[in-house]
Amino acid sequence: FSKNGVKEGGYAVISEDDKAATSPAENYNLARRRTLQVVVSALLTECGFESAEKVAVETLTEMMQSFISEIGRCAKAYCEHTARSVPTLSDTVVTLIEMGFNADTLPVYAKRSQRMVITAPPVTNPPVTPRALSAGQKRTHPAYIPSHFPEFPDPHTYIKTPTFREPVSDYQVVREKAATQRRDVERALTRFMAKTGETQSLFKDDITAFPLIAARPTSIPYLSALLPSELELQTLEETDSSEQDDQTDSENTGGNNITDDPGNDKENSMLPPSGVVPSQKVTEDNVIDNPYLRPVKKPKVRRKK
Amino acid sequence: MNRKKDKGFESPRPFKLTHQAVCINNINFQRKSVIGYVELTIFPTVVNLNRIKLNSKQCRIYRVRVNELEAPFIYNDPTLEVCHHESKQRNLNYFSSAYTAAVSAVDPDAGHGELVIKVPSELWKQGDDLKVLKVYIEFSLDQPKGGLHFVVPDVEGSMADRGAHVFSFGYQNSTRFWFPCVDSYSELCTWKLEFTVDASMVAVSCGDLVETIYTHDMRKKTFHYVLPIPTAAPNISLAVGPFEILVDPYMHEVTHFCLPQLLPLLKHSMSYLHEIFEFYEEILTCRYPYACFKTVFVDEAYVQVSTYASMSIFTTNLLHSAMIIDQTPQTRRCLAQALAQQFFGCFISRMSWADEWVLKGISGYIYGLYLKKTFGVNEYRHWIKEELDKIVDYELKMGGVLLHPTFSGGKEKDNPTPHLHFSIKHPHTLSWEYYKMFQCKAHLVMRLIENRISMEFMLQVFNKLLSLASTASSQKYQSQMWSQMLLSTHAFLKSISNVSGKDIGPLIKQWVDQSAVVKFFGSFAFNRKRNVLELEIRQDYTSSGTQKYVGPIKVTVQELDGSFNHTLQIEENSLKHDIPCHSKSRRNKKKKIPLMNGEEVDMDLSAMDADSPLLWIRIDPDMSILRKVEFEQADFMWQYQLRYERDVVAQEEAISALEKFPTPASRLALTDILEQEQCFYKVRMQACFCLAKIANAMVSTWQGPPAMKSLFTRMFCCKSCPNIVKTNNFINFQSYFLQKTMPVAMALLRDVQNLCPKDVLNFILDLIKYNDNRKNKFSDNYYRADLIEALTNSLTPAISINNEVRTVDNLNADVRLILEEITRFLNMEKLLPSFRNTITVSCLRAIRQLQKNGHIPSDASLFKSYAEYGHFVDVRIAAVEALVDYTRVERNSTELQWLLSMVRNDPCHYVRHEILGMLCKNPPFTKTTDSALCNEALVDQLWKLMNSGTSHDWRLRCDAVNLYYTLFGLTRPSCLPLPELGLVLNLKEKKAVLNPTIKPELGVGTVMDTPASIGIHGVGMSYTAVSGKEPPSVEQSMPSMPTTPVPSFAKETGSMSSKHGSEHGHHHHHHHHEHKKKKKKHKHKHKHKHKHESRDKEKDRERDNSHTYSNSPASGRSLRSPSLSD
Repeated sequence: FSKNGVKEGGYAVISEDDKAATSPAENYNLARRRTLQVVVSALLTECGFESAEKVAVETLTEMMQSFISEIGRCAKAYCEHTARSVPTLSDTVVTLIEMGFNADTLPVYAKRSQRMVITAPPVTNPPVTPRALSAGQKRTHPAYIPSHFPEFPDPHTYIKTPTFREPVSDYQVVREKAATQRRDVERALTRFMAKTGETQSLFKDDITAFPLIAARPTSIPYLSALLPSELELQTLEETDSSEQDDQTDSENTGGNNITDDPGNDKENSMLPPSGVVPSQKVTEDNVIDNPYLRPVKKPKVRRKK
Repeated sequence: MNRKKDKGFESPRPFKLTHQAVCINNINFQRKSVIGYVELTIFPTVVNLNRIKLNSKQCRIYRVRVNELEAPFIYNDPTLEVCHHESKQRNLNYFSSAYTAAVSAVDPDAGHGELVIKVPSELWKQGDDLKVLKVYIEFSLDQPKGGLHFVVPDVEGSMADRGAHVFSFGYQNSTRFWFPCVDSYSELCTWKLEFTVDASMVAVSCGDLVETIYTHDMRKKTFHYVLPIPTAAPNISLAVGPFEILVDPYMHEVTHFCLPQLLPLLKHSMSYLHEIFEFYEEILTCRYPYACFKTVFVDEAYVQVSTYASMSIFTTNLLHSAMIIDQTPQTRRCLAQALAQQFFGCFISRMSWADEWVLKGISGYIYGLYLKKTFGVNEYRHWIKEELDKIVDYELKMGGVLLHPTFSGGKEKDNPTPHLHFSIKHPHTLSWEYYKMFQCKAHLVMRLIENRISMEFMLQVFNKLLSLASTASSQKYQSQMWSQMLLSTHAFLKSISNVSGKDIGPLIKQWVDQSAVVKFFGSFAFNRKRNVLELEIRQDYTSSGTQKYVGPIKVTVQELDGSFNHTLQIEENSLKHDIPCHSKSRRNKKKKIPLMNGEEVDMDLSAMDADSPLLWIRIDPDMSILRKVEFEQADFMWQYQLRYERDVVAQEEAISALEKFPTPASRLALTDILEQEQCFYKVRMQACFCLAKIANAMVSTWQGPPAMKSLFTRMFCCKSCPNIVKTNNFINFQSYFLQKTMPVAMALLRDVQNLCPKDVLNFILDLIKYNDNRKNKFSDNYYRADLIEALTNSLTPAISINNEVRTVDNLNADVRLILEEITRFLNMEKLLPSFRNTITVSCLRAIRQLQKNGHIPSDASLFKSYAEYGHFVDVRIAAVEALVDYTRVERNSTELQWLLSMVRNDPCHYVRHEILGMLCKNPPFTKTTDSALCNEALVDQLWKLMNSGTSHDWRLRCDAVNLYYTLFGLTRPSCLPLPELGLVLNLKEKKAVLNPTIKPELGVGTVMDTPASIGIHGVGMSYTAVSGKEPPSVEQSMPSMPTTPVPSFAKETGSMSSKHGSEHGHHHHHHHHEHKKKKKKHKHKHKHKHKHESRDKEKDRERDNSHTYSNSPASGRSLRSPSLSD
């Protein structure tokens, strides 16, 4: 057996069992498999079986394939362990021994009389991995790298081809462009908003001339006026990296929720008053003793109102 | 009130209040109502205390009990309607005196009050004096117009989700608006405050939060506050809302509260408060007097900052994020002001209104020290100059501001401020503008005292006052000691003399006991022979608002050999002062010139007069006199002063002076200053505007590009493409402010045709176009707003051909570009609002300017929509400003009516106040001009507004008075029908009364039929009689009271007022009615005879006695709630 071939074939068959083979690589693998099946069938005949269910043959084939693959894998491992790249006979023998196989019996078995000779599988060329789009020249190893080392990957994986156009590097033009673009976007946007909504006009004769989006009172006007807009926040994040603030923010709101949220407080009220809960809170708030952070007390039963 | 007399504090009340409990157990946001009770613990200081006068306004009082006994009471508020009869008088003099009388009649500082409680006879009959009395009052407030402000946004969800909140507010002592109390700064007591609110809300109030307890249904919680430090009722406040809570990370006893969603802003804005705390505690060497401090940020605040015992209420608009530059120093200033007033104003309270200046002065002064430390000496000196200019301008224009008024008698002749159209006897009669100037002057005078006795002594005095107060405050059971916490002018001055050993009497006499400022004119000549500077300093002390100054004055002369200080004596008749010079003229050209601060500089001396060694001269450089100096020196001297004098005040003075010298040399000096980065940025900003003025004056000879353009290009534009501004980077604040200011100033440039040069306009448009803030850490909203302002400044009147209507087609091409930008900005703001909507504000101003200059049709509808409730307050104010201007220019009565209806109905008190303020500043017409707007209906309307429409807000009422004064003057408005029939002017007393001859036709027959005409007769007269005589008469009548045993209090009042009516002017209005609903029934129930003071017209007496009715219940002035025992 060609060890390499078995190994590769073994893997391929396991993964692509029933699929219709079309590609040359698959054909190659199927041919191997078929040979293996013939071998298993011959062995079964040799042992005296007259017929076998397909499933049984299939299983045995699988086992056989695993066995051969394992020998190949192990032999390769042994050889690499001794810093060689091609396995030798001794590697295979050691492997067989390691796998609990009595290697000495092998020559006798090979020369047994009732053995069946199986024709060699048709010579099929091992599939050639189609060459990827070749780009540039493949590099050879420099002198200091031994030739058994893997080759360089295809050039397309590392070479770069500059394909961009010469950018407009003139600062003035860039600024000009950015400004015009922004202005156009803004104008288009505001015009759109003005067209789709209510407007106010500065002129009586032509109310479409300078359309102003109508002023609409809001219920809580201070919010939009004071809070930074999302755009501004974004800018701030880009220019500034003070994320710690946010964290402490959420911590603090958490603290508030504890005092304010009636749901949470019901929980507290189940517990004995001023017992366990405050101490928990103290650790939570980092020993801040502020009356507004203290839990709300449950009414005393006797107390009226 | 007289300083010489008051050795200690003498309470005007026959009792001492020691403790007050306030319990508000229901706050209904839906109905905007409040229910609660108060309990006052008082110690009578007289035998047989039979009546207790308390302050209470607009509260409905259900029940009063004294020591568990039901007590009858009278509730009468004469300030609800100042002039009680439908006279056609309409004379401001008359109104002002009537209003002063009304305020006096319930003045807690004189022991009066709106609520008079009769102590049950069981209690005083025992004759057991000095026994503690507990006065329990149940009250409610329904839709309060003053005192408490409800903000209830109209959105879905629970009150907490909606961000609904309520807070107390008021001008001076206004606590009586929301609970019955002794509403005086001088009546201190300890407090127990209890507020039951929705479980999702927080109630923030004065003192320490002892505990928070759920109600039994767990839906509400009660906040229990205890304020152990004796505090006056006006320093008590409350804020309830779904506040987010932030415990100060540096000081855990300080808690900040803001409305939902604003917590990140709160965190940032409060991050430096601890520094202010540390500063004050350090300079005063005194710990913050209260155990905790709370800041609450609310919407629709009455004022930016209002401060109360251990808490301050701020407008939420002070909060800002880290991206905002311009708001940061303003917010810090507000916090510093609030905190300064915690020490002086809240903890230490004033003894009487006349001592107000001491507290305002000290808090303003230590606030100034904070400014100096935080913002630097330049900023401080700039601020002092600004404040000084403000007060000087005000006093020269409006007449003097008197810090410490003394009222010897009630006579009109003794009025210390006859030039004013209001009385300064009470804080509540004072114009807001005047009060602001009063505070300004107070802190400037404190600074003068500091100049005199040194800052160390000054701080020692403050420390002494604080230690005395804190010792007194810890005396829990010795309430008589508490008066140590009250500060009077006398005590302050005594402390100063004890600590410093210096006599500051003349200083006090000049600036505190006397109003007005000093106006100097200076000029000089150099006598080469004698090498002497002949300085002439003249004074104007005859114009209004000026006074004569006698005393030392400092003059600084910069000569070639150095700077020299001279102290001259300003005396009665000496104008000229000879000052010997130290240096000979130009001996050594190469020599460096030493400056005042020790620095030695090279100067180009070619500009100066070859014969004189004088570089520049300054009069009173330290601003140690409240003065205006007009000094004459040559232009090159001003230029030297600008370039080389290191004091920012001198630089600013030089810049203002250089406006009058449009020469290339001035131009060069200003440009150099502009470029000099070491120079204070505010000086450089001022130089921009001066340069624009100079350029305009030199327009025919101006060489080179428009002023400042090349400078701006060099500083802020790209090196490679000078027409494009760099992307924004505001990390250097000085250059940021300069970058903001220069375009605004440049837009003021005009060419020979008096148009803004095309160059400049395109330049500004390019700035807008290329503005790029993407890489900036700070927001550019103020910068963009200023660019719009620059566009506005570039506008000039349109050339109009025979008054055609403005249309789009005939729009000027430049204006079209401007309008394009403004439209885009205003529209973008709807999608991406800027901080405080600064851009909308600028756009509205720009649009108004376009209208005013005739480029676009003048139209008010846009402004009206922006002025509506529901826009951000700054936007509303800008829109109202445009409307006020529109009203004036177009003389439009519809818009005026619209504004006035907003004054009456707008939910936001600040906006109402601002509308009246703006109408005063930019009046539709004045007393000296004729206008179709000036008609009887308007007079009636405004009269009604100040007479009864603004009774819930002292400040607004005074604003209304101001407007009335601006429009019609002191006397009868000219548009009213001739007065022959209507009234009689009593010139001697400066009062006007109804002409007696018209009485009968208005009188008996018709009066009772219509509620509107009720109260015409006589009542006004009795009011004019009230003034001045009130306090003694009360004392006279008191002892007689117990000797008249009467079964019911109601009857007693009747008999009393008929008996003592002649002395008790205001008792005419004490009438009680079972209930408002029943008022018609009881209209005639209580009849009173009217009597008049002898000084009232004899004729009147006859007539008045003939109709024996009093003012009617229909006026709603007197209301007695049903007693529960009924």
